[in-house]
Amino acid sequence: MSFLDYDFMQRALIAAVLTGLAAPAVGTYLVQRRLALMGDGLGHVALTGVAVGLLTGWAPVWTSVAVAVLGALAIDVVRAQGRASADVALAMLFYGGIAGGVLITGLAGSTAATLNTYLFGSITTVSADDLWVVAVLAVVVIALAVGLAPQLFAVCQDEEFARVSGLPVRLYSMLIAIMAAVTVTVAMRTVGLLLVSALMVVPVATAQQLTRSFRTTFALALALGMVPSLGGVVFSYYVDVAPGASIVVASLLGFVLAWPVGTVLRRRRNAKARGGEDPRVTGAHVPTGQHPHQHDPDCGHPTVEHGDHTDYLHDGHLHAAHGRHYDEH
Amino acid sequence: MRAAVVDVRGLRVELDDRPVLHGVDLRVVEGEVVTLLGANGSGKSTLVRSAVGLVPPSAGEIQLFGIPLKAFHHWWRVGYVPQRTTAAAGVPATVREVVAAGRLARRKLFRPAGTADRDAVDNAIELVGLTDQANRSVAGLSGGQQQRVLIARAAASEPDLLVLDEPNAGVDRRSQEAFARALRTFVASGRTVLLVLHEMGPLAPLVDRGVVLDSGRVVHDGPLPTPSMTLTGPPDHHDDHREDYGAGLFG
Repeated sequence: MSFLDYDFMQRALIAAVLTGLAAPAVGTYLVQRRLALMGDGLGHVALTGVAVGLLTGWAPVWTSVAVAVLGALAIDVVRAQGRASADVALAMLFYGGIAGGVLITGLAGSTAATLNTYLFGSITTVSADDLWVVAVLAVVVIALAVGLAPQLFAVCQDEEFARVSGLPVRLYSMLIAIMAAVTVTVAMRTVGLLLVSALMVVPVATAQQLTRSFRTTFALALALGMVPSLGGVVFSYYVDVAPGASIVVASLLGFVLAWPVGTVLRRRRNAKARGGEDPRVTGAHVPTGQHPHQHDPDCGHPTVEHGDHTDYLHDGHLHAAHGRHYDEH
Repeated sequence: MRAAVVDVRGLRVELDDRPVLHGVDLRVVEGEVVTLLGANGSGKSTLVRSAVGLVPPSAGEIQLFGIPLKAFHHWWRVGYVPQRTTAAAGVPATVREVVAAGRLARRKLFRPAGTADRDAVDNAIELVGLTDQANRSVAGLSGGQQQRVLIARAAASEPDLLVLDEPNAGVDRRSQEAFARALRTFVASGRTVLLVLHEMGPLAPLVDRGVVLDSGRVVHDGPLPTPSMTLTGPPDHHDDHREDYGAGLFG
């Protein structure tokens, strides 16, 4: 395979694997928390960070991490306040990120073409230094997403319950925001800042068409993030398009294929589950006040002959009249 | 005299600068089952949410197991069932996964779940009668079954106090009865329950004391009238002759 002979392609492919794993790892928690669009906003904010790098001559990968983390913490604080105006405040932060990025890039004297390599990725621009930073950050993000899975799952599933369990919910919430911000920077060179959110969300949406547990959704989303990332980078080698576009289109194709399969699976599962609970063995009954009638052969309740008497099937259990009360059988 | 498990004194709470509770006292002692009753907006839900630390008080004192809330760290002793219409979130999760989250209060960071943790989760699922559904996605369950999942999650830490916020809202009959049975087992082992109810339903015989709130003030605190059982006439109550289902789960 000829493309593997090029150093830049080797670096791009390693970056693609790491991005393809880290983005859905964080994305699963964002989707679970119903914050699917957070990655999108962070991508916008990170653009200002890139522009600051271009203006000052510092490495854009570091300036964008710094700005995206600040943006993530701001978003998390606004979200935790829970005010009605939070929605608008976040929207303004996102617009500011994009506009500030373009403005500062202009001041730095960089061209729109330079900016484009950050917005939609570029396989030829991953430097060896960049790759080291990306690799370390991605490994840390993936390790935290796996190692803290029980805690992050609890916080994203039900924040209030997690608080009453004594978990430091604010801390975990900020950690997820920072992990998302770091992932945006990791993904900047392959899928790009404008499309990074797709790689956080689409693999998770595809995976959950086929799964019913969190664990398998998480694992499948990682695989479904990595495959289109590799495929998209290779496609960009042969056809001159931004890798971000080919990665996201490949990822969406996966969803389109999984969706009808998921529909069939769900239908089959529901059919199987129906009648899963035997109405006669619910194992649960508590006295519930007056009966509207005394059971007799004509009362309409199904009857079960039981030795010397007749039981009546009643709300999922059997009643036998015995003097002044009903016995449960 | 039995020790106070929940001790709330002079509690005032404001939500969005609007006073919701005006100096409420509430004391629940060991082994008691206390129900908070009241109309919508009476503050009963705010009261239990303050008691577990979810809503900050503007004045007053809250103690759990004799320890001021700020210094209280034994959260595994409290099983909380929040008011929810669903146990599902944005990503699929099985019954077992959701219930296992209730065990975290007893687990350490970066340590896998041990045998005791897994057994507690299994027992909690069995307690609410969902063993057969343990590996199903919670989103596919009925509303009542999802409510039972939340109760199992609270029970998974093997708590000494259960706090339930409207556990019966919109729940089918069978789930209400499964819940009442689980609660009876819990109480039989001498543990304490504080619950918010809209209506008593099948839980009435379990409740020791009712506290009625109206517009943020306690207007009644004492036993609730129960329908008396007569000795003649047509059958009007139930004796349970079956195996004591679920007994001993809380050991």
